[in-house]
Amino acid sequence: MTALTLRRPSDPGTVTVSGSRRRLIGLVIALIVLLALLVASVLIGSTAISPAVVWKALFHPTDDIDQFAIRDFRLPRTVVGLVVGTALGVAGALIQALTRNPLADPGILGVNAGASFAVTVAVGLLGIRNIQGYLWFAFGGALIVTLMVLALGSTRRGQSPVMMVLAGVCVGAVLGGAGSALELTNPDAFDAMRSWNAGSIVDRPLDLVWPILPFFGVGLLLAFAVSGPLNAMALGDELAVAQGVQLVRTRVLAIIALTLLAGGATAIAGPIGFVGLMVPHVARWIVGPNQRWIFAYSVLLAPSLLLASDILGRVVMRPGEIPVGIVTAFVGAPVLIALVRHKKASGL
Amino acid sequence: MTTTPLRRRGAALTAAILSVSLVLTACGGGEDTAGAKPGDTAAETRTVTAGNGPIKVPAAPKRVVTIGNTDLPFIDMGGAPVGVSGAAPSEISLLPADQQETYKKATSVGGEVDLEKVAALKPDLILVQIPDAEFKKMEKQLTSIAPTVFWGLDTEWKALAEQLADAGNVKDSLTRQKAEYESKVATMKQTYAELIKTTKFVNLDRYSNSDPGTYVIGDIGCVEIAQDDIGFNFPKAPAGKDPLAYTSLPFEQLTKLSQYGVITYPADAEGKPTEVFAPVVDTNTWKALPLVTSGHALGVFCPGNNSYGAVLRYLDSLDKALATLPAKK
Amino acid sequence: MSTRVDFGRRVLVLRRRRFAARFDWRSVVICSVLALAVAGMAVLALMTGSFQLSPGEVVSALTGRTSGLVRDIVVEWRLPRVAAALVFGAALGVSGAVFQSTLRNPLADPGIIGFSQGSYTGALIVILVVNGTYWQLVGGALIGGVATAVAVYLLAYRRGVQGFRLIIVGIGISAMLGSLNTWLILKADLDQAMAAATWGAGSLNGVSWPQVAVGGAFIAVLLVLAAMSSRPMRQLELGDDAAAAQGVWVSAVRLGLIVLGVALTATVTAASGPIAFISLVAPQIGRRLTRSAGITLAPAALVGALLCLAADYIAQHVAPTPLPVGIITVILGGGYLGWLLITEARRRL
Repeated sequence: MTALTLRRPSDPGTVTVSGSRRRLIGLVIALIVLLALLVASVLIGSTAISPAVVWKALFHPTDDIDQFAIRDFRLPRTVVGLVVGTALGVAGALIQALTRNPLADPGILGVNAGASFAVTVAVGLLGIRNIQGYLWFAFGGALIVTLMVLALGSTRRGQSPVMMVLAGVCVGAVLGGAGSALELTNPDAFDAMRSWNAGSIVDRPLDLVWPILPFFGVGLLLAFAVSGPLNAMALGDELAVAQGVQLVRTRVLAIIALTLLAGGATAIAGPIGFVGLMVPHVARWIVGPNQRWIFAYSVLLAPSLLLASDILGRVVMRPGEIPVGIVTAFVGAPVLIALVRHKKASGL
Repeated sequence: MTTTPLRRRGAALTAAILSVSLVLTACGGGEDTAGAKPGDTAAETRTVTAGNGPIKVPAAPKRVVTIGNTDLPFIDMGGAPVGVSGAAPSEISLLPADQQETYKKATSVGGEVDLEKVAALKPDLILVQIPDAEFKKMEKQLTSIAPTVFWGLDTEWKALAEQLADAGNVKDSLTRQKAEYESKVATMKQTYAELIKTTKFVNLDRYSNSDPGTYVIGDIGCVEIAQDDIGFNFPKAPAGKDPLAYTSLPFEQLTKLSQYGVITYPADAEGKPTEVFAPVVDTNTWKALPLVTSGHALGVFCPGNNSYGAVLRYLDSLDKALATLPAKK
Repeated sequence: MSTRVDFGRRVLVLRRRRFAARFDWRSVVICSVLALAVAGMAVLALMTGSFQLSPGEVVSALTGRTSGLVRDIVVEWRLPRVAAALVFGAALGVSGAVFQSTLRNPLADPGIIGFSQGSYTGALIVILVVNGTYWQLVGGALIGGVATAVAVYLLAYRRGVQGFRLIIVGIGISAMLGSLNTWLILKADLDQAMAAATWGAGSLNGVSWPQVAVGGAFIAVLLVLAAMSSRPMRQLELGDDAAAAQGVWVSAVRLGLIVLGVALTATVTAASGPIAFISLVAPQIGRRLTRSAGITLAPAALVGALLCLAADYIAQHVAPTPLPVGIITVILGGGYLGWLLITEARRRL
């Protein structure tokens, strides 16, 4: 709902050579951080397993029980964190560019509402009780609801971002209400949903995740394909049209990309908040309004935030764990608040 | 809309008839007053003590409404409530067929209790076990409908069964169930004396609100009975958190289970792992555990842990599972 | 029953007397019709229940000619619930009207400054950790909400509060509290978690007279304040410069109005959990019915009361199982608001 409160005309700024180099160096640093976190995610866990065993588990596998722990638990959650984080980051960048609102969240067009509602129905009415079962319900729900929002938000003259956001809020409210009605009258559904709602990247077997990857691939390609037109549209629809941008096609492609990415991520991990909102926002502070740079930074920073949160969730309550969806806000929000206090905040 | 009250009244009538006949059979035609006019029984009261102090209840209540966790234990002791609230479908599905019937015959008064619906059932006794704060919210209303007996969530199950049977006038079947339970416990103590002395047990579980990729070691649920009443050596809850405590652990920790001699885990009536626990059994780590490969991991059925009937079915399942343990070399 | 309807009328009369000049014929007619509809809905709600009572029985219970259970059901159960729906609904309608007119944004909401998440955290702690009473719950929700709003304001304060920074800090803090709330619900005992979630959905179940009286007293004071500030509100709607030209101290009035709007919502939230969407929808419907240019308080209050009564009726008697009223307001309000804004925007585009 806060989405509508801010819209500012943008100033893309002048891109200088030194600015480009600075951004490139930043990108390399972000890449190194991500790689370090990937390694840490395999090394750190609830049980102490020596790096030598980890090495063996990955490159000289045997049937040792500790090796299973690496291959079955730490490796998959690391891969899932990387994939889901990337998807959420790019989806967030897309929605913020599309709505010209630096505070938009990828869930704003009904992705989360659709996924949650579909899973609630699966749990409450069809009695499905496992991640495998939820996955396609969530993905399907996210896709269908975003299409609904797209249809509702379209006018004769194409899609207005404001209308889409409104439609998203309203569809989200209706589905949310219907979902709570189901949950509050069925303790089983309530019990399962409170766990799914937390958002987690654990215990998602990789063979479940692979089928989603092609969708992510398409989503990422589309996202980078529309980054140029989105840059032009940041200056205003009229100027973009003057530059030869096809507004309707760009918006529809962007929404498809967004839905595939955010819908897929939510289907795999449940609703993980804040990553998609914060990372592109911070990326914009670092690199300015150029959409390609924002995408590139989001691709690296979002999985970093997710993996860092996941690792933190493993160590703070040892030997227990906290689901990553709970931790992301506690890792991300203080950073965001500190940044907004110390940096002159830039609108879009 | 118009048919609902009629149907409801029909169901209530059936339940009423059923409960009267049940009381008749339970009391075996002794000096009881079930055959007399309702007006007479209402006059005869007893006083029972529970979480909300001493309460005057009818000597032989006929229209009982159970709210919260009292419904299944009351039905388990042969009670037939006219109104019930809130049990999850997954819990109901674990009941024996006749108890499921009884449950379905009762009118549902909703998860968020519909007080007027309770009043419309014209109960002569209301049995409640819900969170304290929830009860305080509707205590006055409930007592204005009928004598209301309340237990907090922390009431121990045997005490609850005792007081519930007393209030609901189903003591006979409680006595029977108790005798059966005690003899079962005694037999198992004898049969497994060796195991009790020498073997370290551990009970694994998963709840439907457990975080993905985690399981639980704890002494909540049926294992409490195996631990406390039969004396199997399960890990004690961390000091201070007793009696309800569990530790939630990520799957990685499965590798540390080799320190135990026998694992018990939740299974359905057929012995297959429950749907909630299945993710644990599906891991390669589990499949590679020496305890699992050597047949020392036992699936045990736990249909409920707060009434004697349910606990007896658990003990039967545990007994059967223990019998499959490979003989010691 | 008579006391409650009088209350509604009195507010209307008070307003009419003070600002009689501003009420054109259409507004007066619409408000009268709305008031009648509210009264009718209230009577219907009093007559309906799982416990079947004839109109005669209800009337004799209300007039004190019956005692026992029937009297309790009508006077102690149904009546306070109807009164609560009416008073809280009106408060939410006025709160929304004040907010939307002050911020000139149809989706303005106290949630921006983290109030809702904070009050839910407070309530969850009372329900799940303290296992507290109703009044502790009220206190917890209020303290949680206010503390959060103050924290957001202070964290956003850096040589003044800038709107953009306030919103970002609000989002950050809300996200953290939202996660904390999910975690508290996740780790709680199922029964208590469901009770907490019911509160979180906004429920009037089991409302009693003392609760209505305390909430109503607060709301009455706030409504009078709102009625008194309706003139500067209209001036603000014309724009800051125009208002300043008419001698309005814009920033102080705006802050005062925002506090007033938040206080109204906060009172309702503390008393019964967040009953969503009434504050968003009621002023919009009121404006359309009276065809007035700006937001006016009386129609918003009446529509709010009517919506809340009707939603609670649906939640209790039409839904297959009784639901918290907030679920119905979310579904109806969300659907209606969406339809309204979209058709309107379509026409404009």
